[in-house]
Amino acid sequence: MSAPTASPTATWTSAAVTGDGTTLGSRSRRRWRTARWLVGGVAALLVAVLALALLRPVGSVVPYDPGNTRPNGSQALARVLERQGVQVQHVTHVADAVDAAVAGSTLLVVPAPYLLPEQVTALAGVDADLVLAGADDGLLRAATGDQVRRASWGSLPTSPVDPGCDLPAAVAAGPSLLEPGLKPTSPTVATCWSGPDGSAALAATERDGRQVVAVDDPAFLRNDDVLTEGNAALALHLLGSHDRLVWLVPDPTDSTVPGDPTAEPETGAVLPDWFDAALWWAVLVALVTAVWRSRRLGGLVTERLPVVVPSAESTRGRARLYRRARSRGHAAAGLRAATAQAVARRLGLARSAHPDTLVDAVVRATGRDPREVADLIYGPPPADDAALSELARRLDTLESEVHRP
Amino acid sequence: MAVSWRAVVLAALGLVPVAIWPVPGTVLLWAAVVAALCALDVALAASPRQVTVQRTVPSSVRLGTPTTSQVVLTNAGRRRLRALVRDAWPPSLVTARDDDGGLRPHTDPAEPARTARHTVDLPPGESARLRTPLLPTRRGERSAGAVTIRTVGPLRLAGRQASLDVGGRIRVLPEFASRRHLPSRLARLREMDGRAAVQVRGEGTEFDSLREYVVGDDVRSIDWRATARGGDVVVRTWRPERDRRVVVVLDTGRTSAARISTAVDGSVNTGGTRLEASVEAALLLGALADRAGDRFQVIAYDRVLRARVAGASGPRLLPAMADSLAAVEPVLLETDWPGLVAQVRARVSQRALVVLLTSLDPAVVETGLLPVVDQLSGTHQVVVAAVADAEVAAMRAGRGSVEEVYDAAAAARGDLERSAVAAVLRQHGAEVVEALPDQLAPRLADTYLALKAAGRL
Repeated sequence: MSAPTASPTATWTSAAVTGDGTTLGSRSRRRWRTARWLVGGVAALLVAVLALALLRPVGSVVPYDPGNTRPNGSQALARVLERQGVQVQHVTHVADAVDAAVAGSTLLVVPAPYLLPEQVTALAGVDADLVLAGADDGLLRAATGDQVRRASWGSLPTSPVDPGCDLPAAVAAGPSLLEPGLKPTSPTVATCWSGPDGSAALAATERDGRQVVAVDDPAFLRNDDVLTEGNAALALHLLGSHDRLVWLVPDPTDSTVPGDPTAEPETGAVLPDWFDAALWWAVLVALVTAVWRSRRLGGLVTERLPVVVPSAESTRGRARLYRRARSRGHAAAGLRAATAQAVARRLGLARSAHPDTLVDAVVRATGRDPREVADLIYGPPPADDAALSELARRLDTLESEVHRP
Repeated sequence: MAVSWRAVVLAALGLVPVAIWPVPGTVLLWAAVVAALCALDVALAASPRQVTVQRTVPSSVRLGTPTTSQVVLTNAGRRRLRALVRDAWPPSLVTARDDDGGLRPHTDPAEPARTARHTVDLPPGESARLRTPLLPTRRGERSAGAVTIRTVGPLRLAGRQASLDVGGRIRVLPEFASRRHLPSRLARLREMDGRAAVQVRGEGTEFDSLREYVVGDDVRSIDWRATARGGDVVVRTWRPERDRRVVVVLDTGRTSAARISTAVDGSVNTGGTRLEASVEAALLLGALADRAGDRFQVIAYDRVLRARVAGASGPRLLPAMADSLAAVEPVLLETDWPGLVAQVRARVSQRALVVLLTSLDPAVVETGLLPVVDQLSGTHQVVVAAVADAEVAAMRAGRGSVEEVYDAAAAARGDLERSAVAAVLRQHGAEVVEALPDQLAPRLADTYLALKAAGRL
């Protein structure tokens, strides 16, 4: 017989093609057209980053930082102290502060809400004079030997209050608007600027031969408030009593504790020297690999696929409907009718044969009990799923038993 | 520009200087070395645009028959051409090699098609012929992709790449797997030819000749007048009528897009739609009817005429059919049955055997075919041939669990509805053949032979 190919040797040969019709110039132009938006976007991003870097504020932005010139900074005070011959040492780690705060110096702790209990203990035990500005309850108690606590609520005085004590710094400062928020629990504590409810703005005590002064309101350190009333005199007296001042502005992420052997080392100290070079080498290899893999050997070839619809879907859908509705009657009727039709065809009966005729014919062919056969083919719907399965099995058996008589 | 894996190895070798001088500057220096060597290699590589490419492909090939695409590469430049060349083809033609060297369809999309890649090393002015094996797994018109040439420089670190659009298309013809049923049906056709007596003497059965009675002949076919004239007992012989018209109509509407089962055993055909089985049946019937001396024509129709073969006979019929049915695809449209009937009536005026290859979906038949079948069955012998679904047949027999019993009940209900539709069609004078995909072609051929034997064409 003939094969359905037109002719087994019929071939088609293309024209000889040299080059893809592009030149270096046209390829460059096309590449520029496709890449220009990307290039433009990256350039705009670089410009934006550069602009932000140039416009960044100079100096620190951390509150109470001696290098911060903003209203919430404290550079004014630090400069004046330095001009007066006080050596100001700015530290951000508790361990460094404890190391630096030797006897004969002053340690200033600005508000530090994130100190660990071990750090609080270490700070309370230094040999230097302590000035606590806006300290929380834990640090207050540890530093003063539980002689001063924080009052629950202080109320800002509406008019300047006289010091009411003989602490030299307070006397020099005179009336003040500082918020009273400290509650002494021991009579040995000197309090200044007391409010009507017994809470004071400043509490001073001697402990282990050093002076501990707590000021509840840290505003007297700030650039914007340092000139209010006697704040400047208070600050200069408190902080300038020794030649060296250790100014601790705790870093919130700092967890150093002095003398702890497991203290966090400097970043990178555990890494060997060659790590940087090896990392850059790995980046180089990854980059070259990406370039190698990124260029395809030609484009993908597409193909139109025909629409394909799974044909059994509708039947499965109907089966699921039967199942969900627990429609055993319909399901059983379908199985029974199919069996009846198959049996009738095998016995030579018409599709429209009467049920009695069919039952009689089946009984003659199989020798079964007529009532059983009638019940099987025309009986009531099964009561549950198990009965349905059983019915299907029995119908199969019946169908296999019927042969042409 | 493209770099090779050797460039990655070169970059990785930078570990040695980095180990000796472990500073980031070493890496920077090494990166500069790699970049410089790659740039040098690109500059020294042959241009892929100075290569002349010519592709030769067979214009048509039968589905499942291995073939090759040949690409002739000529180095038209002045440099030695070291290159990797890819001859790209659509997925349904691409092959992969088995472990034992045999070809199989390429099915893993994550894996590049290695059979389509060739390494060439050509001095200036010389040519090479590259053969890419192809194995068509889907019917239809397939256009080739580009020929991609990636050259490498003398260091083989990097090179240049270009894709040349050479053109080339292959028409993948239907598989005609049902041709294995042809010899047995032809044998039966020959048996009918010159048979002593047909059981049913239809009006169309033609008188052939007289011959001597042999034991076993039907006594009813004895020609008494001829017997009286001569001395011996003589019987009349008959032959099936010839030059009848057979029209096969392929319904390419939405019901033909249904996937009925996976491919027939041993076939690489991945189409699997109802239309594939219809095409197979049409081809077998065409081959058979042509041998039987009938005039055969085929129409593919949904709402417009998709393909038509008429007037061809003998050795030209099957190639013409395969060629025009190759590109017929199912469309998601409701078949226009009145239009289809009008097409048939316009094509044939005399009585013909009209075979409608469609489905027996009750809803579709009731709204589509039933209202118009009378217009055809009045003048023609109509056969409705439908492809049954093997999956539904498997569901019908399921008894493993309660779910399967429900599936079986739904399948049984569907069977009942289809047989009811078939009964109605038979009342309208049409023959109905419903069979599983691989059985439809022989069953339809058998129906044709039975109608022919009965003289009902």
